[in-house]
Amino acid sequence: MVRLPDGGADGWNGDMPTQPVIEVEHLNVKYGDFHAVKDLSFHVGRGELYALLGTNGAGKTSTLEAVEGHRPATSGTVRVFGSDPRDRRGVRPRTGIMLQESGFSPDLTVRESVRLIGRLSRRTDSVDRLLGVVDLTRKAGTKVSQLSGGEKRRLDFATAVYGAPELVFLDEPTTGLDIQSRDALWEAVDRLREDGSTVVLTTHYLEEAQQRADRIGLMHQGSFHREGTVSELTRTLPATVRFSLAPSAPALPLPAVPQGDGSFLVETTGLQEDLRALLNWAHDHGAELRDLQAGPTRLDDVFRAIGSE
Amino acid sequence: MLAIAHGELIQIFRNRLILVTMLVMPAASSAFYMYLHDRIPALDLGAVAAVLMFLVVTMGLYTTAVTTLASRRQNLFLKRLRSTAVDDTRILAGLLLPVTAITLAQVGVVLVVLSVVADPPADLLLTGAATLATVVMMIGLALATAGVTNSPEHAQVTTLPVLIGVLAVSGWVGFTGTEELTLLKRLLPGGAASELVVNAWNGGVPLSESLFLLAPTLAWVVVAVTLATRIFRWEPRR
Repeated sequence: MVRLPDGGADGWNGDMPTQPVIEVEHLNVKYGDFHAVKDLSFHVGRGELYALLGTNGAGKTSTLEAVEGHRPATSGTVRVFGSDPRDRRGVRPRTGIMLQESGFSPDLTVRESVRLIGRLSRRTDSVDRLLGVVDLTRKAGTKVSQLSGGEKRRLDFATAVYGAPELVFLDEPTTGLDIQSRDALWEAVDRLREDGSTVVLTTHYLEEAQQRADRIGLMHQGSFHREGTVSELTRTLPATVRFSLAPSAPALPLPAVPQGDGSFLVETTGLQEDLRALLNWAHDHGAELRDLQAGPTRLDDVFRAIGSE
Repeated sequence: MLAIAHGELIQIFRNRLILVTMLVMPAASSAFYMYLHDRIPALDLGAVAAVLMFLVVTMGLYTTAVTTLASRRQNLFLKRLRSTAVDDTRILAGLLLPVTAITLAQVGVVLVVLSVVADPPADLLLTGAATLATVVMMIGLALATAGVTNSPEHAQVTTLPVLIGVLAVSGWVGFTGTEELTLLKRLLPGGAASELVVNAWNGGVPLSESLFLLAPTLAWVVVAVTLATRIFRWEPRR
């Protein structure tokens, strides 16, 4: 694993309160001979939004399930609020869990489902208020079996944030949601965080993690490939400039890799200087840089780099 | 636990298939046995009571419990419940409480009707004890069976061996008694409980002898619960 450079003792530059909400030390999860999670260690501080990302089969779900208390660790320790996460009476009243798949009884209505799971969480809240937050007020009396996939995700979110828990697990929260619903969900998450809640997120929408996560744990083949803030993750890879040129254009002023479709890719650690050089060259030679795109490294690029390693 | 039970009760009354399995089939079968008793006066009343009780408990409780647990696991409702602050025992108790209560009420109604149209039991308390022991045994067997049942549809297959076996044993023991093959009949699931109901209804057997019959039934509870703790799954196979 690459633990990225930082100023803090535990790899995070933000304010880390004394007692982390989640402490994972040398976690291993095995299914028979298959080693799903290998010696994973990380902490999540109070108020943080920590994103657990990874390639398919990287071990995210197994890790998340061990931290949520749904699955025992084969070895290693997991502590949530200083306790074993399988201690439901102690931990769950402070924890909201949004599962990756629905898990609601199809014959119960939306209101009945929120009320039931809310009561079992041992927190208090207004069901009507929550249904308003996730825009399901008009569906309150509808059976879960008649909801769309997106509506089920919103119902799931409503039960996870019932009573504003101190810690919320969001497993693929925006999958299947339209853009308005996504915005509404993230607004609700922002409000929770303003009140001090800690959020653990997994998502395939990397731009969501890039925009919102304080830190990211990037998993690959059962262990952390990298862990740190977005800037820490992306600054180890070069920025990119992409453009297309007419075949008759003169030689470029910097190394560029032809992409086969008439376009070129420039990888650079000095984006501003190289972009200026390229634009000056185009100006001097009267060349047109078609479809010019330049930008810092994105999480997508980090992911692709993992895949190519 | 009561919140889960309330949710289950709502679902039972919204699901016609479950409702038919739970209420109509045992009631229809019971009516048929009472009709038989009217036509064949020599039919042993204790045996009829035993068979009726097992009909209601196997079809109303056992089959419904297995189907419910498989269904709740398949749609991840069990995992959802385990995401809350409630422990596993209370989750299972909440899920099975409504069907158990309905079954006990059904058994009560059927046996009261039998008492009215024929004769009442000689020992009411012993009949109650036999019913309770049978209910507990069938809950244990339901938990164990649910462990090998992947879906509600699969339950139609996995419940058959216990359903047919227990019903056959209760009829065999009820109508032929335990004078022959005593040990075998008492050790088979439902055998001792059937004999207990027959004794409780017909009377004439010392209480100590009858109470001894609770032991094999409770042994089956231990066997079933031990099996269930080993094979019961909370989530579908991956």
